[in-house]
Amino acid sequence: MTTISRPRLIGPGINRVDGPLKVTGRAPYPNDFAYPGMVHAVLVRSTAGAGRITEIDTTAAERSPGVVSVLTHLNAGPLARGPMTPLGVSPPAPLQDDAILHYGQIVAVAVAETFEEATEAAYAVRVGYADEPAVLDLDDPRAKVRTNPWGRDADRGDVPVALAGAEVVVDETYLTVDNTNNPMGPLTTVARWEGDTLVVNNSTQWASLEGAALAAAFGIPEESVHVVAPYVGGGFGAGLRVWQHVVLAALAARVTGRPVKLVLTRPQMFTACGHRPKGRQRVRLGATREGALVAVQHEARTASAVDDDNFEPTASVSATAYACPNVITRDVQARLNVPVPNSMRGPGTATGNYALECAMDELAYRLGMDPLELRLRNDAAVHPPTGLPWSSRAHKECLERGAELFGWSRRTHEPRSMREDGLLVGYGLAAVGYPWFRARCSARATIRRDGTAYVCSAGTEIGNGAYTVLVQLSAEALGLDPGQVTFGLGDSTMPMAPQTGGSSLTGAVGSAAHEACRALVGAFTDLVADDGDSPLRGCTADDVEPADGALRRRDDPAVHESYRDILARHHRPDLSADGESTPLTADELGMAPAGAFGAKYVEVRVDPDLGRIRVARALSVIDGGRIVNEKTARSQIIGGTVGGIGMALFEETVSDPGSGRIANATLGDYIVPVNADIPDMQVEFAGSWDRANPVGTKGIGEIGLVGLAPAIANAVFHATGRRIRSLPITLDQLL
Amino acid sequence: MRPFTYVRAHEVGTALAEAEADSRADFLAGGTTQLDLMKDGVLRPDRLIDITRLPLHGIEERQGALIVGALVTMEELAADPVAGRRLPLVREALLRSASVQLRNMATIGGNLLQRTRCRYFRDPTVAACNKRDRGSGCAAVHGSHRTHAVLGTSEHCIATHASDVAVTLVALDAVVHISGAAGDRKVPLTGFYRTPGDTPDVENDLRPGELIAAVEIPLLPEGARSDYLKVRDRSSYEFALASAAVAVGLGADRRIEWARVGLGGVATVPWRAVEAEAVLTGSPADGEVFASAAAAAVAGAEPRPQNAFKVDLAQRTLVRTLQTVTGAGS
Ligand SMILES: Cc1cc2nc3c(=O)[nH]c(=O)nc-3n(C[C@H](O)[C@H](O)[C@H](O)COP(=O)(O)OP(=O)(O)OC[C@H]3O[C@@H](n4cnc5c(N)ncnc54)[C@H](O)[C@@H]3O)c2cc1C
Repeated sequence: MTTISRPRLIGPGINRVDGPLKVTGRAPYPNDFAYPGMVHAVLVRSTAGAGRITEIDTTAAERSPGVVSVLTHLNAGPLARGPMTPLGVSPPAPLQDDAILHYGQIVAVAVAETFEEATEAAYAVRVGYADEPAVLDLDDPRAKVRTNPWGRDADRGDVPVALAGAEVVVDETYLTVDNTNNPMGPLTTVARWEGDTLVVNNSTQWASLEGAALAAAFGIPEESVHVVAPYVGGGFGAGLRVWQHVVLAALAARVTGRPVKLVLTRPQMFTACGHRPKGRQRVRLGATREGALVAVQHEARTASAVDDDNFEPTASVSATAYACPNVITRDVQARLNVPVPNSMRGPGTATGNYALECAMDELAYRLGMDPLELRLRNDAAVHPPTGLPWSSRAHKECLERGAELFGWSRRTHEPRSMREDGLLVGYGLAAVGYPWFRARCSARATIRRDGTAYVCSAGTEIGNGAYTVLVQLSAEALGLDPGQVTFGLGDSTMPMAPQTGGSSLTGAVGSAAHEACRALVGAFTDLVADDGDSPLRGCTADDVEPADGALRRRDDPAVHESYRDILARHHRPDLSADGESTPLTADELGMAPAGAFGAKYVEVRVDPDLGRIRVARALSVIDGGRIVNEKTARSQIIGGTVGGIGMALFEETVSDPGSGRIANATLGDYIVPVNADIPDMQVEFAGSWDRANPVGTKGIGEIGLVGLAPAIANAVFHATGRRIRSLPITLDQLL
Repeated sequence: MRPFTYVRAHEVGTALAEAEADSRADFLAGGTTQLDLMKDGVLRPDRLIDITRLPLHGIEERQGALIVGALVTMEELAADPVAGRRLPLVREALLRSASVQLRNMATIGGNLLQRTRCRYFRDPTVAACNKRDRGSGCAAVHGSHRTHAVLGTSEHCIATHASDVAVTLVALDAVVHISGAAGDRKVPLTGFYRTPGDTPDVENDLRPGELIAAVEIPLLPEGARSDYLKVRDRSSYEFALASAAVAVGLGADRRIEWARVGLGGVATVPWRAVEAEAVLTGSPADGEVFASAAAAAVAGAEPRPQNAFKVDLAQRTLVRTLQTVTGAGS
């Protein structure tokens, strides 16, 4: 691994390179694509929660004005299921039989000349069901249960003995509810066939997977699927799977021979593209009177769909959070008649951290100890399961710096002891860590005759600022100004990239781009290796460094030659090189690769009579390794903070008893925070360059959300003396 | 969406004639309820009669009352100086409603006639909704009903009337001016709405084809104290879990000379709490009186498992509002 000279920890907050395109409406989102002859597809969804379709009558729908085709399981033909992924199996192939696995399952698709005509035709499809009782409860004995579904269960030391001998014990249960991702951009697929090639414009966070899954569905080679998604209107995880509607849009395009556009309606967004599944967690903590953890036992039962194994490791958060010799974590998945869940910002971690950090607060109160002190005392200075040093860790620094910025010392320990303006005031905190994740990634870098560069990789921009930081990293590796670099993303024909998920994109694509740029520097030195006219003749890549559009000798910076001059003299329009980055294992590194760490501090104000809760302040101190762009990084954290406030106080996908129909599937009824609910949000970065990848970054896409819910729950306890052990915390629970 | 005929009326008479000629016609004002429900397939009129060009846009002060044309927008009424001075609770209720974008479109007439937010009513794939389809049942009773009503309910319907401003208007004894092909009439707002009983589809006194032309709002006497308090899960852009509209006259001895109380978010119609008014009238402004007034207001409540908290919340909301307007009892 070669590293370039290190820029400072926090990089310049340059404006988003795609900002002007976005604010002027010129950035093409999936919804913006239209093709001659395009028709519109609208879904029909099951109104039974479980059972079978007994009859399906499309006569009226087919006669409805403008209708081109109506697809059901009777005429869809065989479609294969997509591949296994690190996030679980692909969703079941759509319209394959008469089985109903959940309310809202897609049972038909109406295709018509206009969206309105397709909508009307969809209403006209008549479906009869043989209902069976839907299995909806986590504890329903009929639910299929999988233990250790992700192989992450941890066993360290002897927990039963340690718990039995602990001087102080906490044993509490915490409940979390279904949340729905709801990116602003409704998921959209525009599909068309050009001969045997399927071209899709799609809301995806993973263009490479999209290609593989659609190829599998239609039994065509992967090269015959072209996914184009240069901009996606948010995801929060919703774009991490290749959903049934994507396959159906492609099927409809094949059946009708026309380009097909399918836009999920907002209510459909609640059943068709995943959600954070509900769960129940029991946390047992044992400690000495001095506050040293002696045992942690964390058990989580999380919902999934009947035919799904959604990746949601929750209890495993506790395997690495604190230095503790005796640890058990157990994850259990209960399969219910619910829509297929999916990663939602901070999957597993946000919920697991919620339970653990609430339990830590409860432990602090049982010990009569400052909750901050308890965290500091149990800091995991080394990676607890292996004893390896972390590739970087500034967790203590985050906690301490946060306490200072927040004014934690002003907090009086007793619950209900702080008041202002007739309101109860509470301070709460949570310590957070985000698991490290990185996947293999490729990129290609090109420098053109005019000295500008183009770097690309099949990763996707979902509003996270990917274009901007990747331009910055590439510009740095090539010694160019960011304005001279264009980055290409979101096209499956570009070099393979993993998902925009797991807080891994900058690390993956950034490292691959870095390697490609390094290789490109090598290609330039190769080009001039025997070039008598070049001052760099005989240099290897290691002998030069890029700066100001040129390569210069490390041993003599006055000796340099520009990319333009080299290309011109060699009559080359451009020069390209490929790069690939493969994450190193802990063994190879001799270190435990670390994800981000952080500390969340929250102040709440609670109306003692009406129970209204307001978050008055929220502070995040984040160790995200090297921060490439101060501004986009801050935006990630404040966006996550808003999501975390939503999870803590507002968001709940409510479903009907008996059927599982989602009872609040609109943005009017599914409550997310509005501006007036969001306080001043302070963000500070701490720590150092991470040693696990060449660009020094750690993922920060999700850690912004993690920890808000427990910090708020703990602050509500501090304000009111009421320990609410379920989310969301609403005013009716405080009356 | 299925095709429908759109006509725009410029005179009240034409609008009424259009409506009389087609029993499957609906009026269109700001459209913020009507169009949503059409898109969701709940309302399926054959004809939409756009009434926004009718000359019903004025706000006029006449004989101690404000006559508000049915097409005055929520934002216009909120900005009206007389309303601001003499009906501050109306203004407050309007400004706590919806969003400014919606208030710029939505009309006062439409607001009074807005349909419930019950998700079973608004989702035609749910068969059981007596309000949509009399006799089909009520899915909310055994379904998700945290936001549903506890006052004025029946086993056939527990849908909440969601208007904020209407709560203040029933408290203020506003009168609805109605125009119909058969003539004009006036109905006090307290008698305008119908609790569901066994006909939840009948929501008010309006006869087929009739229009609301205006609302007459008696101004509060000088020196009256009033407020509207809206309690909800988030700070803005949400319907009330509970709300209270209060106006009182306070004597020199700090006795309550008269009181008007409305409750919102908890009832099937904008709720006039006459029982609370009876407790308050002639009583000293203190915490005990407020508590018994609040208890009287919800005495007839029929809570269900998920909305039982509203009985408590409504009382706390009313007590807080009484405290605010009287400056006593906290
Ligand atoms: C997202 C959202 C949030 C909202 N939040 C709130 C809130 O917090 N508080 C609140 O009080 N309201 C709220 N509303 C409701 C809103 O105030 C009403 O939709 C609006 O007032 C209706 O007025 P309109 O002019 O748009 O009526 P329209 O939608 O045009 O009409 C509503 C109904 O009344 C009929 N109608 C309209 N005018 C007349 C008339 N003059 N005579 C006879 N019939 C007529 C129509 O046929 C239709 O059936 C919200 C609405 C939305 C969409």
